[in-house]
Amino acid sequence: MKPGAERSIGTVPRPVLFVFVAALCLQIAWQAWQPRPSARAEALGAPASPATLRALALGEPIALAQLLTLYLQAFDNQPGVSIPFRDLDYARVTAWLGTLIELDPAAQYPLLMATQLYAQVPDEARQRLMCGFVHDQFWRDPDRRWRWLAHCAIMAKHRLRDTRLALDYAEAITRGARRASNWARQMRIFILEDLGEIEAARVLLGGLLASGEVTEEKEVHFLTERLKSLEAAGKSSLPANN
Amino acid sequence: MDSRIATIARCTLIEAMRTRLPALVLVTLLALLAASFFIESIAVVEGDRLQTGFYASGMRLSGVFIAAIYVLVSVTREFNDKGLDVLLALDLPRSHYVLGKLAGYLAIAALIAVAAALPLLWFAPLAAVAQWTASLAVELAIVVAFALFAIVTLNQLTPAASFVLAFYLLARSLTAVRLMGAHPLAGADTLSHQVIGFMVETLALVVPALDAWTQTAWLVNGPAGWSATGPLLGFGALYVVLLAAATMFDFYRKNF
Repeated sequence: MKPGAERSIGTVPRPVLFVFVAALCLQIAWQAWQPRPSARAEALGAPASPATLRALALGEPIALAQLLTLYLQAFDNQPGVSIPFRDLDYARVTAWLGTLIELDPAAQYPLLMATQLYAQVPDEARQRLMCGFVHDQFWRDPDRRWRWLAHCAIMAKHRLRDTRLALDYAEAITRGARRASNWARQMRIFILEDLGEIEAARVLLGGLLASGEVTEEKEVHFLTERLKSLEAAGKSSLPANN
Repeated sequence: MDSRIATIARCTLIEAMRTRLPALVLVTLLALLAASFFIESIAVVEGDRLQTGFYASGMRLSGVFIAAIYVLVSVTREFNDKGLDVLLALDLPRSHYVLGKLAGYLAIAALIAVAAALPLLWFAPLAAVAQWTASLAVELAIVVAFALFAIVTLNQLTPAASFVLAFYLLARSLTAVRLMGAHPLAGADTLSHQVIGFMVETLALVVPALDAWTQTAWLVNGPAGWSATGPLLGFGALYVVLLAAATMFDFYRKNF
């Protein structure tokens, strides 16, 4: 078709114009008469198995995992409705997070979501569920996942007020994550101190200093001062015990 | 129907037969059917449900793609071959040409919908298949009518195909866009949100919400009932009339 100036509207036959205007008016009236769409929260479905998803990924499991991570993250904000995290089915959420980690084991995002999003609800059972999930996942790759378990240890101590659980997590980091930062690996010493197990804390701290793992001068100084105060506390408590 | 409109419609159908459109539809249908059997065979539970869902949703999208591309390419070829110039030189009103072509394309859309539905008769209840087929036929009718409008208005294949694709994607996501726009998490009072909200609501007046059409749920969960699907068919017919009138309006204003 050759390009050219358009002809005037007067060339359009009146019946065509009439049908066009009438159909347009009817269409607008029909749509305006329809009720507005209403939002409805949808339940989070169970994820497919990692093997199925890996097959569906067509060789791009990491890309699929990233897309599914964003889907899960956005699930609380469905079109037109915002679902509080506490209303989500946490068993399903942990299944999704586990599947995402299976698809992309190097990803930190699912663990961040577990600790920073889903564990932030004011519900102790859900907080414990998420920390348990992080603890399980920690043992599969301790050197890369220790920081999330450290977060859970702090959460257990200060929010859940469960110092024993915090000690379990801290000890897991010390035993499993050889490349973890010193502060995380030393955390159990201070938790033991909080638990009143001064002697155990003193022995561990002394051992740590003797092992030469800590090389930073200021950190050695701080820990030495700490050890001294623990020893002082131990000595002062002896007569009382006797 | 005017004999000249019927003749153009018949020629459009013959052209479809001779350009291997039926073969393309058949190959697509068989490929999706074979894939659906594969999916059914690897499913541990609800194999029939998975098979039906995969085939129906795949065939719906394929049908839309084939029908839209066919209309766009067919009319483009007619423009390029000067067949249209010859037709317009005859004693033939432009509206008859548009109506004839549209009638032919609507028949093609209906045939694609029926062909797509035939395998479903083995997988789903008759009432559900009937509703799904009728809805798909009207959805395809809207798509072919819009494709005809797009190619007549824009003349060239690439912009017209992009326009059709954008229309279809918008129609399938319009309800979600409206819901998100109606209940934003933040910034509901800003001017930009008010303007965009107004634009979305205006679009909703002239774009059909195709997400409610041809639902796989009708096949796997149970029929929706004609009271629910009937209005969709009525609305679809009205929308095709509107698109036909818009196409004629543009076509009359073209200079050749």
